[in-house]
Amino acid sequence: MRRTGPSRRGRGVLSGALAGQRRLVILSALMVTAHQAGEALVPFLIGVVIDRAVGGGVGDLALWLGVLGAVYLGLSYGFRYGVRYGERAAEQAAHGLRLRLTRRVLDARGGAEADRLPGALVSIATSDAARVGAVAVAIASGVAAVMALALAAVLLLWISLPLGLLVLLGIPPLLLLTHLLGKPLEGRSESEQEQSAHASGIAADLVKGLRVVKGLRAEDAAVERYADRSRRALTASVRVARAEAAYQGLVHTASGVFLAVVAVVGGVLAAGGDISVGQLISSVGLAQFLVGPMSTFGWVGVDLAQGRASARRIAAVLDAAPAVAGGDAEPSMPVRGRVTVRGLHSPPLRGVDLDIDAGELVGIVTADPAEAAALVGLFGRAYDPVAGAVELDGVALAELDPGSLRSAMLTTEHHTDLFDGTIRSNITAAGRARVDLVDAAVAAAAADEVIRTLPDGLDTVLDDQARALSGGQRQRIALARALATDPTVLVVHDPTTAVDTVTEARIAARLRSVRDGRTTVLITTSPALLAATDRVIVLHDGVVRATGRHGELVADDSRYRSTVLA
Amino acid sequence: MTNGSMLLPIATGRRTRAMLRVLLRPHRARLAGAFALLVAGTSAGLVTPPLLGHVVNLATAGSGAGEIVLAGVALVGAALTEAALAGVGVALLAQVGEGVLARLRERFVESALRLPLEQVERAGAGDLTSRVTNDVAVIAEAARTALPEFTRALLTIGLTLAGMAVLDWRFLVAALIAVPVQLHTVRWYARRAIPLYARQRVAVAGQQHHLLATINGAATIRAFRLADHHRDRVGARSQQAVDLLLRGVALQTRFYARLHVAELAGLAAVLGTGFFLVRGDAVSIGTATAAALYFHGLFGPINVALALVDDAQAAASGLDRLVGVADLAAPRTPTPTASPGPRRPGAPGPAVTVSGLDFAYSPDRPVLRGVDLTVGHGERVAVVGASGAGKTTLAKVIAGVHQPVAGTVEVPGGEVALITQEVHVFAGPLVEDLRLARPGASDDEVRAALATVDALAWAEQLPDGLSTEVGAGGYSLTAAQAQQLAFARLILADPPVAILDEATAEAGSAGARLLERVATAALEGRSALIVAHRLSQAVNADRIVVMDSGRIVEVGSHEELIGRAGPYATLWQAWSDQRPLPTG
Repeated sequence: MRRTGPSRRGRGVLSGALAGQRRLVILSALMVTAHQAGEALVPFLIGVVIDRAVGGGVGDLALWLGVLGAVYLGLSYGFRYGVRYGERAAEQAAHGLRLRLTRRVLDARGGAEADRLPGALVSIATSDAARVGAVAVAIASGVAAVMALALAAVLLLWISLPLGLLVLLGIPPLLLLTHLLGKPLEGRSESEQEQSAHASGIAADLVKGLRVVKGLRAEDAAVERYADRSRRALTASVRVARAEAAYQGLVHTASGVFLAVVAVVGGVLAAGGDISVGQLISSVGLAQFLVGPMSTFGWVGVDLAQGRASARRIAAVLDAAPAVAGGDAEPSMPVRGRVTVRGLHSPPLRGVDLDIDAGELVGIVTADPAEAAALVGLFGRAYDPVAGAVELDGVALAELDPGSLRSAMLTTEHHTDLFDGTIRSNITAAGRARVDLVDAAVAAAAADEVIRTLPDGLDTVLDDQARALSGGQRQRIALARALATDPTVLVVHDPTTAVDTVTEARIAARLRSVRDGRTTVLITTSPALLAATDRVIVLHDGVVRATGRHGELVADDSRYRSTVLA
Repeated sequence: MTNGSMLLPIATGRRTRAMLRVLLRPHRARLAGAFALLVAGTSAGLVTPPLLGHVVNLATAGSGAGEIVLAGVALVGAALTEAALAGVGVALLAQVGEGVLARLRERFVESALRLPLEQVERAGAGDLTSRVTNDVAVIAEAARTALPEFTRALLTIGLTLAGMAVLDWRFLVAALIAVPVQLHTVRWYARRAIPLYARQRVAVAGQQHHLLATINGAATIRAFRLADHHRDRVGARSQQAVDLLLRGVALQTRFYARLHVAELAGLAAVLGTGFFLVRGDAVSIGTATAAALYFHGLFGPINVALALVDDAQAAASGLDRLVGVADLAAPRTPTPTASPGPRRPGAPGPAVTVSGLDFAYSPDRPVLRGVDLTVGHGERVAVVGASGAGKTTLAKVIAGVHQPVAGTVEVPGGEVALITQEVHVFAGPLVEDLRLARPGASDDEVRAALATVDALAWAEQLPDGLSTEVGAGGYSLTAAQAQQLAFARLILADPPVAILDEATAEAGSAGARLLERVATAALEGRSALIVAHRLSQAVNADRIVVMDSGRIVEVGSHEELIGRAGPYATLWQAWSDQRPLPTG
């Protein structure tokens, strides 16, 4: 881990992302420059052609229209390839960052999700990555704007020194003025735009909660509430629209005044014979053109600032401290599957000692969800304990490489994640599962009943995180996946909470044979599952309170009875 | 699973226009005013090129500075007039657009909320959500920026062409040379752009969705060591989106290349016309200048108008989709309950009577067969059985979500609340979420409801207490807390009959126990039908109904059923005893 400031790391991300696109950015800058130069020459040429109308012949007209055609060819191709190269650079840079972020989030040592909501990470991998990429376009446009400015300045100064100076010195204060006028509006409109975006958000939220609203017959209340929000948003957005219209009016007036000044000064110079009429027209045209590249600096500046801020957010994820830092040993082969826990401290656990023999089927019961969650986290090495250790075949998990550990000892959380794809691809876990075990695992998890009801059986495609399945159906498929992976040690947390009692009993009955000879730990309070175990370990107040068979504990231990049978 | 056969309706273009006319009616005067102001403002702006031409003429004639300054003052006046008139016009136009948009989204939300749940379930909630988010956003964007810009651009184009005709009709003819190229370009572009952008939106949304699923599932991906596989999948999705975005960029640049051709052709024609007219002394050099400046001034508005064509198309198809749902509004008729029988809360007889009930989603697959069931006043009945036994379907038919195929469902009290395992916390202050169930509830009533479900303590410890913003974008609550809120809402809604379908399933097993306690408190004094997962829910019920393959196979209290050695007794044995089950 480099110990550098956040802005320095952000710059590293930014320059790294763009360095890969250097060739495209340079090409884009050159092409956009050609386009801008062409755009500057068009008003200039209009003046020239009109000048010829006064003095020249048809041949001159043809010549200058030919020049105009050539300029158009250049500006059109310049635009076409300038934009394409720039956007390609931007998209490729963003794509690269997106992949780096995904790799970091999925890293076996974890830590990148700490303190970040999944939605926020998605927004970093999409919006922030896109903003860093957009810096490529901003750089190319900025370079081109400087070049166009220089060209227009040369043309103007060549036409007339005083008129050129007037234009070049007049535009910056003009832009500054419009910027200052716009500033107070900007802040106001932002907060009001937020409010109107909020109205759409509320609508989406109500529709999402449709079943709840209908279940409570609360349609009227919901409609009324939405109408109220919508009206408030309407007031806000009308205010924004008015402010924006006023701002546009001010900007328009300012540039109109500027144009009038240039026209008057140019007109006086032309009337005095200092410049030709055509040059007067060119000057006015150039003055109008110049507002473009100069205002480019405004948005380029904003894009650069946003790109830097986004790069800092990306760097913070990429450089996030791993959740489990140490340990790169491999478990000694073959893994026997003996799990021991020694003096384990990790709040709320306060010194847990356990011995689970290879091949045992053990239940762990706790009435405190936080204790269960801590055990799951420590067994799966999502984090390491404060003191003490969980050991696999006598080696502390903290000394093992997390990836290798998980291939020998699989720990699955209560929350089930199924992925887009067929049910088969979910259960085979992209080849991690034993293909010959899929059928047995599916049957053991009672997922066969689920699959039978689906149109294409195992090949039914799940999308949108399998939301079409009920919670119990998802749990059974997730359990089948865990069983099919056939790890030497399997730790599962509450695998059947949404499964009906009849089916749960069936699962419990089959679990033993499918896990025969392998270590299985069930962290649960489900009596159906606990009844199938060899032994139950009961935790209370962060320590082991009792051990015994389920039937004995039910009979003799009233606290146990109230925890699992309540 | 995909089930796209019964999507929600999409309005026809004619129906959408009719709806827009209705929505625009109250704004007619404002709309006419906006239009008049925009015409006047744009016309004022079009004085600029002839004034510049006038300056050129004055310069050619070698006039004095005074006259030129006077022309300059006129230029400033024109700019001011245009800015003021058009500014007010745009503001009025936006007011109309926003007003129509607000009314439309209100009607949409209203009819979405009043749609029969059956219809939404058939179409999939995703369709409705995508309409309310994507389509509303597209239309709002169009109403906010595209509409005023498009209107102004069209007016500028039309009035500029008129201005050129006033200078000399031959300038207009020259300018129109560009039109066929532009028309062809727009049609060429629209043909390619609309399907491409549709694919683009799908790809970008797919990429977002996929990233979210991957990040949400990070713990599982690590556990099963699937990181490489998922990174490749994200990479493939991202690459697909990038490719489509770049194809869109390429298409746009080709679009502009064609417009450049039109610009060049028109500009050359106008300049050539000016050249010959000046030489033939038909117009002054100032007029030729004005014509050239007019045409040069058209580039911007033409590009704006043409580029907005696909925004307009997207907005139009979004409108069709919104109006399609908004039209369904069955205003102010509450969703029919199972039986509209007379409302006699304290009446004798059962709170729910189901007799001879048959139900099937498709005729060849009966789900419920001849179900007879009563729930007495204040009685709590638990339904137990394997998945697919028909428990949830029974709950939905009683709640009025589905209509029976045969038999009757009578709920004399009229009101049935259905609480499912699907929890949703409404975005906004916590107290507002609860008031959805009873709009006029006092703070004390809300607190009492929270206290009953053991939620008052944690709710008061939220950063802003009961006013804390929760749900999407706010403080995120655990699944168990969200379910506690669902029960608090039930208490506030205070229906005589409540149906709980797997309402405690999503929390872990230890959390489920807390929720069962909470559910018991929330159901106090109500008749209740509980679809039970855990036998502990059944144990405490007044009566237990065991279902199998759409039929009721056993009814009785816990003690009675245990004594009967039937299916329920077998289940209970599996729970309370260590002996493994002989079942397979």
